[in-house]
Amino acid sequence: MPKTSIIVPAYNVADTIAETLDSLRAQTFTDFEIIVVDDGSTDRTVAIARSLGDPRIRIVQQPNRGLAGARNSGIAAARGEYIGFCDADDLWRPAKLAAHVTHLDANPGVGLSFSGSEMIDERGRPTGLSQRPRLTGITAAHVFCRNPVGNGSAPVLRRAALDDLAWRPAGETHRDWWFDETFRQSEDIECWLRFALMTDWQIEGVPGLLTRYRIVAGGLSAATVRQFAAWERMVDKLSPCAPEFMARHAPAARAYQLRYLARRAVVSGNGPEALARIRAALSASFRPLWEEPAKTITTLAAAVALTACGPKPLTALRRLAARRA
Amino acid sequence: MLRIVHLIDDTNPGGVTRYLDFIAADAAMARLATHVVVPVSRTRPATAPIEADVIVSHLTVSWRGLPGLMLLRARFPNTPLVHVEHSYCAGFAAARVTAPGRFQTLLRCAYALFDRVVAVSAAQADWLVRRGLVAPSVLEMIRPCVALDAFRALPVPGGSVRTIGAIGRFDQQKGFDLLIRAFRAVSDPDLRLQLIGDGPERAALETLAAGDPRISLPGFAADPAMAMSGCDLVAMPSRWEPYGLIALEAMAARRPLLVANVDGLKDHIANGAVAVEEMTVEAWASAIVRARAGMRMPATDMSAEAACVDGWARLVADLLDRATEADVARRTGRAEVGLA
Repeated sequence: MPKTSIIVPAYNVADTIAETLDSLRAQTFTDFEIIVVDDGSTDRTVAIARSLGDPRIRIVQQPNRGLAGARNSGIAAARGEYIGFCDADDLWRPAKLAAHVTHLDANPGVGLSFSGSEMIDERGRPTGLSQRPRLTGITAAHVFCRNPVGNGSAPVLRRAALDDLAWRPAGETHRDWWFDETFRQSEDIECWLRFALMTDWQIEGVPGLLTRYRIVAGGLSAATVRQFAAWERMVDKLSPCAPEFMARHAPAARAYQLRYLARRAVVSGNGPEALARIRAALSASFRPLWEEPAKTITTLAAAVALTACGPKPLTALRRLAARRA
Repeated sequence: MLRIVHLIDDTNPGGVTRYLDFIAADAAMARLATHVVVPVSRTRPATAPIEADVIVSHLTVSWRGLPGLMLLRARFPNTPLVHVEHSYCAGFAAARVTAPGRFQTLLRCAYALFDRVVAVSAAQADWLVRRGLVAPSVLEMIRPCVALDAFRALPVPGGSVRTIGAIGRFDQQKGFDLLIRAFRAVSDPDLRLQLIGDGPERAALETLAAGDPRISLPGFAADPAMAMSGCDLVAMPSRWEPYGLIALEAMAARRPLLVANVDGLKDHIANGAVAVEEMTVEAWASAIVRARAGMRMPATDMSAEAACVDGWARLVADLLDRATEADVARRTGRAEVGLA
């Protein structure tokens, strides 16, 4: 029985899955299985995963159920005591699994161990951007406002902790749910926040940018609209679990979420949308302004500059940042 | 006759008080020992006059109360001390604790003062062990009980479910706000919802219920069996619940029972309560719709009273055996010293 399972949800990822699996097979901690959940791919994703001929790779196939559904099938098939996730276009640094295993072994109260992430572009090059979240003393309010877990390829969870989240929705006869499959966006944060609100397992990070998280440019405005709608649906869904908590923290969390969408709009070069988002953020709550003044004002300035001068000055700045990194 | 003193710091009507009423009045419990219930201050339990072979704390552990528990241990170094954990469980820790390390330190320190810690449900016992709060060797699990005959004597409601009852203190813990929202999402004009109890959330619950004539909040019921008699189904949407005595009463009265899938309520699911898997309005609304369409009655009679008495008998016998062994060891030790 492997000590750890790494779940790789894969939907039409023939271009990137080999690189992702290579990064997992190169882990310095070697007691693992990789579960590739083929979520109804119509390209060569499965053939590529099989062609590696690695006995540690198991392939689970299903008709398309979305990311949450793929992760759930992976969890249902996983045999490890610890379960990590790596989306099939992201990469793990070689020491990542070892760091989380050490962390979870040493801290029996920690149910979710995560790390920071480095952002890479389509070709795997560093963009100069990173997620360096707070690592300790994380409360549900942090999860809600700042999502320190960051992305779906960052956490490694304890099986026992995941199982405290499991439920069997009416009509599901096949297996439990851990992620809510009715969400097609915000499924990560919904799961982490529910984890923070409903279980007494701790969420804690380990140092280092151990995940390489791929940002694909050209974010459509319609996608961010859908993403924000999903986020609001999460707030509606979880409010009955913790009404006081939600009432207290939702405005600030909404402001942070809108600021994040503003930054995404800046990255994809959409000035007017960025400006509208950051203004909506500030009208939801001033907390991002006094908790993280530099980042909030930079976002506002970038949105204004992008709207006024177009994308050129910002592209130049970003190139500078990438060189520095 | 063996004398067991039960210390309580909360004499408000509620689960703990009713459990102690049972302990003090039940004939089988009386054959086991003389039970004396002593109300004490949460911070100074040792100042009460106590004369006992076994002391059982039903107190709420807190940092402010910890020195008092230490004094209690100091005053009775050789009397077996037992703590029954009525307050804390995994769901409580998730919902209410912002500094988990500090909270766990408190519980470990407090529990270390006792010879035995009694969990009130299997789910709570699991949590206590899993979090390393209690060593398995000092942990017992005894599910609380109340006198159930009045509930068993109630006529079983015939026909379909009409009145849904929720009984308990009006507190965020109980999730009655969620129940009202879910109930209002079900438009069936023949359904009724009765929230029986009182507490700090009353005004908020009344606001939530305003405008829906199907919902009533008749107030605190001094006779719980009477309150149960008006319900065709009992709902417990608690956000956390170390055990949940109402569930036991509902099943004794053969009322179908919907419970949140948390903490001690999981114990009741094993006995026939129906779990509502998610703490969402949709999940509870569809559970109500399904229950309306027909729901099986729990047919089990768990003879919960006997199980509870057995638990205490086992615990007391075990404690006194060890106490006797310790006495013998002490005497033998002294004799050896004398011989030397």
